[in-house]
Amino acid sequence: MEQRQQIEELVYRSCLALDDRDYKGFLALCDPGFRYKVMVYSPEIRKDMVWLDHDRAGMETLFVNLPRHNSDHSPLSRHATVYTVKVQGQQAEVVSALQVFRTALDGGATELYSVARLIDTIKLDGGEPRLASRVVKVETRQLGFGSHIPF
Amino acid sequence: MAKTAMQWNAPPKFPASHYVDSRIYTDQAIHDEEVERLFKPSWIIACHESEIPSAYDYRLFTHPAGVPLIVVRGEDMKVRSFYNICPHRGNTILYDPAGNAKRMTCIFHAWSFDTRGNCIEISRAEQGYQKRFCKEDAGLREVKLEIGFGGFAWVNLDDASCTLREYIGPALDVLDPFMQEPLEVFHFNRAVVNTNYKLWHDTNSEFYHDFVHYFNRITGMMQPGYFDRKYTAFENGHASVGSMSIQYDKYEGSKERAVGWPGLAPGGWYMVDLFPAMTYNLRTSVLRIDTALPLGPNKVAIEFRGLGLKRDTPAQRAQRVFDHNTIWGPFGRNLHEDLLAVHGQGRAMREGTGSRWVIHGREENSTIHDEVGMRHFYAEWSRRMGRKSYDPMREGRPEPARAAA
Repeated sequence: MEQRQQIEELVYRSCLALDDRDYKGFLALCDPGFRYKVMVYSPEIRKDMVWLDHDRAGMETLFVNLPRHNSDHSPLSRHATVYTVKVQGQQAEVVSALQVFRTALDGGATELYSVARLIDTIKLDGGEPRLASRVVKVETRQLGFGSHIPF
Repeated sequence: MAKTAMQWNAPPKFPASHYVDSRIYTDQAIHDEEVERLFKPSWIIACHESEIPSAYDYRLFTHPAGVPLIVVRGEDMKVRSFYNICPHRGNTILYDPAGNAKRMTCIFHAWSFDTRGNCIEISRAEQGYQKRFCKEDAGLREVKLEIGFGGFAWVNLDDASCTLREYIGPALDVLDPFMQEPLEVFHFNRAVVNTNYKLWHDTNSEFYHDFVHYFNRITGMMQPGYFDRKYTAFENGHASVGSMSIQYDKYEGSKERAVGWPGLAPGGWYMVDLFPAMTYNLRTSVLRIDTALPLGPNKVAIEFRGLGLKRDTPAQRAQRVFDHNTIWGPFGRNLHEDLLAVHGQGRAMREGTGSRWVIHGREENSTIHDEVGMRHFYAEWSRRMGRKSYDPMREGRPEPARAAA
């Protein structure tokens, strides 16, 4: 039970770090071999699509470059619920539901921005659990003017 | 110097061809007229042939005029298009955006149609209609469709329209050498933004806005050859932009596009803007197609497609997808910036904001920061609309004197 709690906390802390734009904090939760993917199924072209795919170095670069780009500054709030945790040896496969809310800076109205599922592989080899990979399976395909910040 | 209301509302000190009245982006009556005069008689990209590779594959497309269309490949492998409207009680025939349907059957009363638009079954026909009406009377409304220019399925609602080739003319000749083999769509994304469709097309018609893109400033604007790219204008409001070599390695975390594109120089980049609102954008390893579909004066749905070669190996395709997403994906560096910019225009120009004019006044010998692409578009817009883009309400505004250099 303690292990499950640690795993759940890792998922939640990763969401909090991204909510806070604490990208160093987020990467500190990730394994050196971390890989991040956003995947979407398109019923229009009847294909799985990859919308973002980076290794840890790619994520670091993405975060470093963020201030150099013009981006929407509306805060994103991630609400995750861990559904299943399947421990196999030194790693766990974790499936969580994710909703992302966006709050307008001007006026503070909040809207549901995206619904998705997080499929995390978590390393459990000894110390603190770490994210080995995250696949964000996004259901919401209309993202308006989009985002530079991953979910 | 800041302006008074009178100064703000006075026409800009440019020739009338070099600015537009911002009401062309906000007025409902103008929008409605654009649908009738620009979109209904124009050839519009509905989908790509790779989206319907097999017999009986279909794809739905809502035309900017609001007409729901089915694009379907027949058993003879010919692609045709029909209204997705049952001739019986006006119901939707097909619901899913894509699929495979040997018989297209309306769920309401089970009338069925084949891929040539023939009605092939009316349930309990004789009992209800006796000899007064039969399936031969109940065909679907067919819409003109042609496959061309890279394997796209183009539709035209006007039965009397010119051919697709006549409509495009030589505008896509510059891309012809690069579209000689079958292509395949790997990316589809529809962005709905509160802005006018022309503002998106404007963005695709000028590169002065590279200032919004850190990526383009680093890999393009600061590199040799950038200011040599030239616009070429074509009949029917189309325009193209010549190539340059993008220096991808100048952007941290980016790299040379190794997979390339047959015949295209490494780092090459061509763009062709097609009237009224489509863009071909071939950049090094990916062909991107934008189709802007107006939903109202201040709302547009933009369909983005990313294409590679049908013969791609999995590794080549993965590289193209990566290249595409880095810049043009919904989380990519440039697409968000472009969409944010036109969202900002929509926000500033909507009815009642006091926005008055939009200036297209840059002249740089038709090179990359010249705004000739937009001027060419609005000349055609004015011709087809029967309204001057600088005086759309026909208020008889005299053309202002040319500003002193």
